[in-house]
Amino acid sequence: MKKRNWYGLLSILFLTVSLGAQAGQTAEDLYRHGQYAQALSAYEKQIKDYPNNPFLYYNIGNCYFKMGSTGLAVANYYRAFQLNPRDTDIRHNLELALAASGESLVPAGMPVSLHKAVFGLSLTELQGLLHLVLWAFCLLAGLWLLTRKAGKITLVAGVLLLAVAGWFFVRYSWQSEPLAVVATPQAELRSGPGENFPASATITQGHLVQIVDQKGPWQQVVLRSEGIKGWMENSSLEHI
Amino acid sequence: MKKICLVVVCLLSTLPLVAQVHLSAQTDKTDLALDDELTLTVQVSGVSGNIVMPQLPSLPAFNVYSREMAQSTVNGHTTLSFRYLMIPRFVGRTTIGPVTFSYGGKTYQTDPIDIRIYKSATVAASQSKSSNRPATRQTTAAAADISQLPPLEKELSTRAYAHENEPYFMISAISNKKPYPGQPFTLGVRFYYAPAFYEAAYHNPQVSNLFMEEGPSVQGRQNINGTMYNYEEKRYELSGVSAGKASIGAAMVDYRTASAGNSLFDRFFGGAVVSKPVTVASKPITLNILPLPAGKPASFYGAVGTDYTLTTRLDKPRTEAGEAVTLTVTVQGPGSLKTTSDLKFPEIPGLTSYPAAPETGFVSNNSSRGYKTFKTVLVPASSGQYMIEGINWSYLDPNTSTYKTLSARPLTLEVFPATHAAKQLDFGTSSPVGNGIQTIRQDIEYVKGTYDTDLSLLQRIAAWKWMHALVFTWLAVCLFMACIGKKTAAKKHAYQYAKTQLKQARTYEHISDALADYLRLKWNISAASLPLKGMITALAQHGVPPETQQTFATLWTELESARFAPLSKDTNTLAQLSARAENLLKQWENSK
Repeated sequence: MKKRNWYGLLSILFLTVSLGAQAGQTAEDLYRHGQYAQALSAYEKQIKDYPNNPFLYYNIGNCYFKMGSTGLAVANYYRAFQLNPRDTDIRHNLELALAASGESLVPAGMPVSLHKAVFGLSLTELQGLLHLVLWAFCLLAGLWLLTRKAGKITLVAGVLLLAVAGWFFVRYSWQSEPLAVVATPQAELRSGPGENFPASATITQGHLVQIVDQKGPWQQVVLRSEGIKGWMENSSLEHI
Repeated sequence: MKKICLVVVCLLSTLPLVAQVHLSAQTDKTDLALDDELTLTVQVSGVSGNIVMPQLPSLPAFNVYSREMAQSTVNGHTTLSFRYLMIPRFVGRTTIGPVTFSYGGKTYQTDPIDIRIYKSATVAASQSKSSNRPATRQTTAAAADISQLPPLEKELSTRAYAHENEPYFMISAISNKKPYPGQPFTLGVRFYYAPAFYEAAYHNPQVSNLFMEEGPSVQGRQNINGTMYNYEEKRYELSGVSAGKASIGAAMVDYRTASAGNSLFDRFFGGAVVSKPVTVASKPITLNILPLPAGKPASFYGAVGTDYTLTTRLDKPRTEAGEAVTLTVTVQGPGSLKTTSDLKFPEIPGLTSYPAAPETGFVSNNSSRGYKTFKTVLVPASSGQYMIEGINWSYLDPNTSTYKTLSARPLTLEVFPATHAAKQLDFGTSSPVGNGIQTIRQDIEYVKGTYDTDLSLLQRIAAWKWMHALVFTWLAVCLFMACIGKKTAAKKHAYQYAKTQLKQARTYEHISDALADYLRLKWNISAASLPLKGMITALAQHGVPPETQQTFATLWTELESARFAPLSKDTNTLAQLSARAENLLKQWENSK
């Protein structure tokens, strides 16, 4: 009876894996044949099962990009980039999509190599590194307290801990910043939270904005590239 | 002028009598400004021999400043044209009466011509376009024909009979006395006059709880008990705002009358005498706006009436993702549709809608039928086929007091994948890279075929939260051990430490320090702050045997004296004292 149960379980597992692989294949086939809307629909179904998969976000971004929705493409590439910043394809596509909107991934004045170094690890990986260094430091410090030996290596571990903590703090500050992307072809930036306030600028899709405040369906935003502040309708934005 | 007339008469006398006499008169315009000029052309055909010039009627509203004559003969038919150039004198409405022409013992006459004179040329031009009326009167309503007229005209014509003895009067009537809110109905106001008038100023009626729009003007004639009246009729399109009482005030006309001058000179050049202004007004009308029946559908936007039509149209049936298409919805119905609220476009997944302000107006050549056009820009986010449906327009049928709904036919929008995104990223000129390779265009990387992400070691470590507890426990234990074990270790190492110091001692002071450090580490007795007696007492308190207490006292005294009187002691003494001190410490250690 037990043997039979095991066979049953194995069959279900095999079927699930096969179907998953088939669904992925279908989405890619659709994308390859230019049926981006259908491919997008397939990828969006899969993202429900794997909500933190950077490559699914990347594929969704690709579909949006091919359909001309640069704003939504940027939003999804950005999500993928946050989860896996070392992936060169994700970085390339995000930079390309941002360039199409006149934006840049690397802040002005920052060397690209430094940006790549800062984003060498994902936030989760950075958190793991911070834990590792912290644990090493604690072990060494305890040893030193007991034996008064290995003082120099403990000091080095302390300095390393401070450096990694600083790195983590910088990345966490950037990543926890409430960001959004202009998702509609054109959105109006108004001087107040309502249509009765005059529009001060029109912003094309794909521009990154930082959310500052909210009043009903209106968001107070700061345009990252220009530093302009104003109010936009929530429906024009895709939150990252 | 007389010479010209004589020449004309001589010429005409040679013409043979070839055809039936025909007389006509027409003006180049019927609406003109005060500083404009009017050309009246009188044509006579079918005459020959001696003729007299046509006789102009009294023209008190004009100055005739030029008269010309021309003759043309085609296939033996001779036509004489008389042109009169005239300048208007007053603002208002006037009539050029019948032009008479006597020939062969008979008198012929033309139809009268209505002329409107305005202050400014702009108004005259616009009125001329909008009225689009012919120069001669169009309608003649006799009492016998009234029963065959439309209801509103019948009502107005019937009411006119109550004013049979008045030369000037005004009447008004409406087409519906109990309309629903938003239901269009017509107000007709007529100004009747038997003699001509000048400088008439018209005042629109004031309304309450009603939306009013000016409609067209018409002219007509009506025989009221033997007197032929001319009338000017002004029409208005009205609709109720809300249920309850509504009122239409009096429409008024301030007019002046004039009579022709008596002298021949005045008659020829159009002289006249003008009266003071007189006001006539129509009676105010009160009506009751009915409340709307219950059960309004969601797609009811305030339209009341019948014969509504709903049409939808896309400016293009195919587009690319991200490109805009315009969806136009047009509603046509009775009256003006200005008072109806805006159509709500249905939400279509995948299409973002940007509605524009609607446009209203009247259907061309039909002032009683209005239209309202709603437009929205639709932007598809992705390629595929979209069905645009669910656009409905409900209206209240006043005849049955029920709501009826019109549904637009579904439209299909085919959206292709965008091509402009790639164009945006085309950086224009190809840039050489090297070895003959040129970049043509940058595009995004291809999708990931597999997206199974193995967690890296660091990601796994980030999940090991339980390790924190272990590590911090370790640190706490170490810290605790370090604090507690410090004293024990010190006690343990006091003898070794002192022994090492004694071996390295080069002065008496070094031996004293070794003993003092031993006392401090072993029993926490401070040799620096206590006299010898105090140290002995402290040693006794820690259970040191009395004989070793005495040995310590002797040794300490000798060390003190050797420190402060070094000449009295030699090198052998230093070694002896050091050996004695070590021996003492050994005794203390062994005494435990």
